[in-house]
Amino acid sequence: MYVAVKGGEQAIARSLELLAEARRGDKAVPELELAQIREQLRLGVARVMQEGSLYDEELAALAIRQAAGDMLEAIFLLRAYRTTLPRFGYTRPLDTAAMRVRRRVSGTFKDIPGGQVLGPTYDYTQRLLEFDTAPIPTTQPADTALPASMPRVLDLLDAEALIERIDPGSDPEPVDLTREPLMFPANRATRLQNLARGDEGFLLGMAYSTQRGYAENHPFAGEIRMGEVDVVICPDELGFPIEIGSITLTECQMINQFHGGNGTPPQFTRGYGLSMGEGERKAMSMALVDRALRCDELAEANQAPAQSQEFVLSHSDSVEASGFVQHLKLPHYVDFQAELSLLRTLAVQHTADADEQPLSVTTGAQA
Amino acid sequence: MMLAAFAEPVFDSQRTFRELLQAMARPAVPRRLPVLPPAPAPVRPEAMAILLTLCDAATSVWLQHPAAEVAGHLRFHAGLRLAEQTQQADFALIDAPASMPALDSFACGDLRYPDRSASLIMQVEGFRTDRGRRFAGPGIRDTEMLAIEGLPDEFWHRRAELSAQLPLGVDLYFVAAQHVVAMPRTTRLLED
Amino acid sequence: MTPRYNFAFLDEDTKRMLRRALLKAVAIPGYQVPFGSREMPLPYGWGTGGIQVTAALLGPDDVLKVIDQGADDTTNAVNIRRFFSRVAGIATTERTADATLIQTRHRIPETSLREDQILVFQVPEPEPLRTLEPREAETRTLHALADYGLMHVKLYEDIAQYGRIATSYDYPVLVDGRFLTSPSPIPKFDNPKLDRSPALMLFGAGREKRLYAIPPYTRVESLAFDDHPFELQSWEHHCALCGSNDSYLDEVVVDDSGTRMFVCSDTDYCSGHRPEARA
Repeated sequence: MYVAVKGGEQAIARSLELLAEARRGDKAVPELELAQIREQLRLGVARVMQEGSLYDEELAALAIRQAAGDMLEAIFLLRAYRTTLPRFGYTRPLDTAAMRVRRRVSGTFKDIPGGQVLGPTYDYTQRLLEFDTAPIPTTQPADTALPASMPRVLDLLDAEALIERIDPGSDPEPVDLTREPLMFPANRATRLQNLARGDEGFLLGMAYSTQRGYAENHPFAGEIRMGEVDVVICPDELGFPIEIGSITLTECQMINQFHGGNGTPPQFTRGYGLSMGEGERKAMSMALVDRALRCDELAEANQAPAQSQEFVLSHSDSVEASGFVQHLKLPHYVDFQAELSLLRTLAVQHTADADEQPLSVTTGAQA
Repeated sequence: MMLAAFAEPVFDSQRTFRELLQAMARPAVPRRLPVLPPAPAPVRPEAMAILLTLCDAATSVWLQHPAAEVAGHLRFHAGLRLAEQTQQADFALIDAPASMPALDSFACGDLRYPDRSASLIMQVEGFRTDRGRRFAGPGIRDTEMLAIEGLPDEFWHRRAELSAQLPLGVDLYFVAAQHVVAMPRTTRLLED
Repeated sequence: MTPRYNFAFLDEDTKRMLRRALLKAVAIPGYQVPFGSREMPLPYGWGTGGIQVTAALLGPDDVLKVIDQGADDTTNAVNIRRFFSRVAGIATTERTADATLIQTRHRIPETSLREDQILVFQVPEPEPLRTLEPREAETRTLHALADYGLMHVKLYEDIAQYGRIATSYDYPVLVDGRFLTSPSPIPKFDNPKLDRSPALMLFGAGREKRLYAIPPYTRVESLAFDDHPFELQSWEHHCALCGSNDSYLDEVVVDDSGTRMFVCSDTDYCSGHRPEARA
């Protein structure tokens, strides 16, 4: 006799045990230490911090270990932790012009004040699997130390008035997307905030589409810089700024062609990307999509997916997307039953309608 | 000396909220507020219970009579912002309904976002359910009878005028004698 | 109970934000209130809206029931119940009549609800017009103007094509004659239970960051046409376990040759109607 399925609670408990066992793997192999993840998987840590919206290498490493290396799961873990944290205050805007640069490249000028600085990059690694443990080279200090800060490449163009000028004081107080729902139309600060939390893969695909004719905006990598930036707070009760530490950031400023419109003369325009840690692919993708999303403001035709605010911003978040795609695993018996019963009715009716059709001569064809 | 607020903020505000929710869901029916925190005059403890339950640094409150002690108490316990203009207030505290500003001077929302509208906490003198006006609308099975004491007749005319703008409007919490009566914009006053 | 988190997980600022939004939702029946949905420790799409609403409501005296597909024992219902036991230490029940709060996905209990109960729906897509118009800026305007022509056209096209309205769940309703509203993906069988319900009904869409409400005793009409009135699903079968012929039935495949049997989707209702329970 049929008995209604019971035991969801036990099934969950057993599943959690299996998961713990699978996550740990062969117990003869030592468990990963958080320091190993933090030091040796630093790009993964950076991505989890960036999309998890929380700069904490230790917690990101913990999340990566707990998620068995599933970055989206690790990002989700960090977000769910972050949501409960009290807020003590807000920092001053980060000054990336004062970045202690470790890497800085420009695709627009052969040489620039401060120079092109490759730094630690995979760009020229030739992608050959290193089957033998590579010896760790001893790095030599440069003949001349890098300058303490380097001017931004785009500021050089600004002096010539060939690039749109953005008044640093003109930004409205940004909304906090982790506290306020996203509303449309969203201003640029809100869009950038959404993109900063957005899934790298999604933004990469969107950015790529702009290079293939879907919202062509003729980008040049004006400058990409990576290094350390001081974090400064200015508590009301003290009234003067205090440096509370520094974080690693990657910033990308794209320069895009613009033929003028909406009362603006022909000039270069900007797309902006910023990512915590070393996150060059993310910062570049973000900058391209940022520029594409500025189409309305610049009176450009709004017709490509990457130009559609609602399309891009509503679908960029991996925690939202992953949850909803995967919710299809949940039972939908009731709705499926409703559809079954409707479909049966329609099928019966379809047959009845077909029977009423005047007979046409068919040879061998089955109805 | 500064007065205290809720003794158990987490649970006192939860219990108060559940009464407010039922009050809003069942308009024109007085509900007893479970916790009455201390309140500096002219604020009634019932009104203070609502403010402490719903307001914080994310809300702005307009006070009909912004006594320094009241403002200080609310800032300290709720961290809320005081609104200078009625139009900017999320909540308003009316302690003298006879001399209150026009209802439509408060935010009534816009057609895309009718929720961006004010909630008014109105201190009145008492409630009677054995006589009074009759009300109908969402949340009311048939009709409810209620008399609100200390409210000028003029008030009902103004409110009826505003109802032409539905779904825009303001939502009301009347307080007196340990009780709250809520009246959302959708509650209709029946003509006898 | 996990002491490192606040009662019911959410911090008090978040609860206040939710509570303000819920009160506005009740004041404007059927209107979708945007709210600052938080990232919960359960995935979006798995009930985060309902969970946030429940967390904003819960007190130590509440008795919580959680159902998914009408059943208390489906894994996600179990998980949500487990979550609240852990973060709020509240009592839970599987009996509809004993609950003060019921969180549900896809069903309304068969047992009539009372005035002292609150039903919280998990909502995947709060916008009833979304499949007809994907842009939020547009659907907001249509609601502002109460312009629901799009939906009427869709239903009319169904009739033209199939001879009937081909929507079997998440069947759109008009609340208090004003706002077109999604009842969440409940089967249309449950739609009549929305109309003039004694219990307050709250709807939470976490991923889409919207809340809405249907107050008690509020008029809720399922859209229809005069010549094509709203129709309920019905079965030729009775529940194989309790014999009920008036509850929503799940179809179960019981063997390899595809034999079907039909059982109540509402497990509490079913167990209360079995011969041994009635004896």
